[in-house]
Amino acid sequence: VSQETRGELPLAGMRVLEIGGGVAAAFATRFLAGYGADVARSEERAGELTGDEEAALLPGKRRISVSDAELRALALAADALVEDGKPGSLAARGLDPRALRAEKPSLVITSLTPFGQHGPYAGYEATNLVAHAAGGIHSLTGLATRPPLANGANQAWKLLGLNGFGATLTAYYGAQLRGEGDWIDLSAQECAAGMLELYGPRSAMDGVPSPRLGNRTNAVWGIYPARDGYAGVCTLQRQVPALFALIGDPELEQPRFLDPMQRIRDDRELGEKVAAWFATRTRTELVELGAKHKVPLGAVMTSLDLLSNASLRERGFFDEVETPAGRARVPGRPFLGLPWRAGALSAPGADTDAVLRDWLGAGRAR
Amino acid sequence: MKRLPLEGVRVADLTMMWAGPFATRVLAEMGAEILKIESPRAWDNVRTLLPVEHPEPWNASLYFNDYNRDKKSVTLDLAHPRGRELFLRLAALCDVVIENYRADVLDKLGIGWEVLRAARPDLVLVSMAGFGKTGPERDLVGFGPIVEQMAGLTSLTGYGDDGVPYKTGISYGDPVGGLAAVGAVVLALLQRRRTGQGTWIDLAQRETMAQMAGEAFAAASLREEQPVHRGNRDPRWAPQGVYPCAGNDQWLALSVRDDAEWRALVAAIGAADLASLSLDSRRARHDEIDARIAAWSQAHDPQAAMESLQARGIPAARVLDTHDIHWDPHLLAREAWTFLPHPCMQPWPQPLSAWRLQEASPKPRRHAPLFGEHNREILCGWLGVAESELAELEAAHVIGTAPLRAGVG
Repeated sequence: VSQETRGELPLAGMRVLEIGGGVAAAFATRFLAGYGADVARSEERAGELTGDEEAALLPGKRRISVSDAELRALALAADALVEDGKPGSLAARGLDPRALRAEKPSLVITSLTPFGQHGPYAGYEATNLVAHAAGGIHSLTGLATRPPLANGANQAWKLLGLNGFGATLTAYYGAQLRGEGDWIDLSAQECAAGMLELYGPRSAMDGVPSPRLGNRTNAVWGIYPARDGYAGVCTLQRQVPALFALIGDPELEQPRFLDPMQRIRDDRELGEKVAAWFATRTRTELVELGAKHKVPLGAVMTSLDLLSNASLRERGFFDEVETPAGRARVPGRPFLGLPWRAGALSAPGADTDAVLRDWLGAGRAR
Repeated sequence: MKRLPLEGVRVADLTMMWAGPFATRVLAEMGAEILKIESPRAWDNVRTLLPVEHPEPWNASLYFNDYNRDKKSVTLDLAHPRGRELFLRLAALCDVVIENYRADVLDKLGIGWEVLRAARPDLVLVSMAGFGKTGPERDLVGFGPIVEQMAGLTSLTGYGDDGVPYKTGISYGDPVGGLAAVGAVVLALLQRRRTGQGTWIDLAQRETMAQMAGEAFAAASLREEQPVHRGNRDPRWAPQGVYPCAGNDQWLALSVRDDAEWRALVAAIGAADLASLSLDSRRARHDEIDARIAAWSQAHDPQAAMESLQARGIPAARVLDTHDIHWDPHLLAREAWTFLPHPCMQPWPQPLSAWRLQEASPKPRRHAPLFGEHNREILCGWLGVAESELAELEAAHVIGTAPLRAGVG
């Protein structure tokens, strides 16, 4: 593989205006900035991101503070506008998406909201938890005997932002080809509702909600305590014999464990055997055994663990960024193969003059 | 009618299970033509993962059919010389090849990057192994939950009182990797437009997953911070949580971000005695407040509770389960579900593309393909294979309309 991260950036020349400033919009434009787009971020809701979120999501962006009239001019000078305000908030400021599109047909506008631009909940208030609850993943996470559990790090907003990245870029590709952009209505609820694995379609078909299964979907698909933390196993039928060979218990060679249909009945007993095997091994041992014997084993790693992970180091995954709190290491390029720039963290409003000059001409700088 | 952005883009799709097929479902929604390539000896495992009562269970899998709509199915045994040769000719007619095999498999099949770029110099190849093509962990086998564990996210999820990290209830690493792969495809196509050059993208699903918890890496590097399990609470405001409602396993999620929302909540739940609590007091007395909210919510239907709190401006939503989400009035009003006729199955509500391009208006067009359904169209129509050779290829199991020795699992 070419590990090339230098060279002419693939999105050099693309201008992106980010309006809003929440996690969703910041995430959506993060990779655009890294791959070379000129991202100007207008922070409408000060303090919405924590310092850690700023370190992860804002490197390489220019931060501006402008009037509504200047914002409108910048929107018309942009290739893409990514925003996460409430439905109608752009129009209220003189940036009605349809009017902008009519004025500049190649413009891509991506609107990121909890529930979308229209429909009975469009005006609803939401936090990450509330948007996550409405998307279905929440109902499946945690224990059946306890309340549904939200996963960490604001996933409703991240998932919305990740969709925003792909959708914006895809519509921009169409605009490059045919001169026509689009206005994309992305809802956090819909982003999640369409990716409920088998659980969503199955419940739609049989009318029965899928239960929360905690860390144990079945004995060979789950998370177990290891000697120094937690580790996981996810085996398909074709990998089960290799897992059983590793565990080395002769009882596992019986059809009641090997046969996928019979195994369901003795799942609890099998789970006890797997648990006993995990409990005597460290996470590192388990991961190495998995790689060696082609058994899908993994370990619950913390971000601190991963900062010194040899694979991530060899692949050059982390970028360094100077922040007001010191030098941080944050995820860099999302994949290898195209030039990427690490980018510095700018201060709020620090780039206003430069962006106005670069996008609108010397006469518009303050 | 406005054209979809990826109309005219052809993708040879070698992906299986969920991450890759999720990526190519989105590419199909955006207008790309997807040729799903499977072997009679090595088919997409999702077709036969679970037992199905049907004479052709591989064509009647709900899991497969939900994530493979709008694609065409071609069978080719890539381990057979003729199958490999036909694949390379097909790849030469495509803009993109995408695969999510374990890191060593593509090369072992003799169709690695150098071979593919010889077949078509400006090809885009997107490889999306769990841990990437390089590095000491490249041989790890990674399904979604393992990717999530190895990326740091699982360590951040927990109730807080048992010390246990919890996996996300779906194989979250898969669609996250898939969505990033869509971005990778388009980025590489943009690059090709600029430079005329093809690209090999090496996407490690673990690395795209780690992006979803980026701030935790900042916290770890700046302050050596260890994961904090907050259950459903938020460090910035209080109260926030998930509360039981009337009915079986029914829950309401709500947040109170400031004093005004707090006063609105206590009025709604009959807890006026707590109206003057500051943020600090609400944090300190969170358990007690949770009990008061639960006492109210238990007597209410979750939909009605959500609507009444939202009417007062309080962020609240019912926790929609995998059944009720298909009947959510908001999603129904947005026409978020559609029914596609399928020859082997009763139709079920399938999600529209979440990428609502309001002008181009993407809509699912056709059910997932039957195994090998498009063999003739593609092999004869595109590659000029003689009709008479099809039977020979089928007899040699290079192609087929059924997997060989399909079991369950």
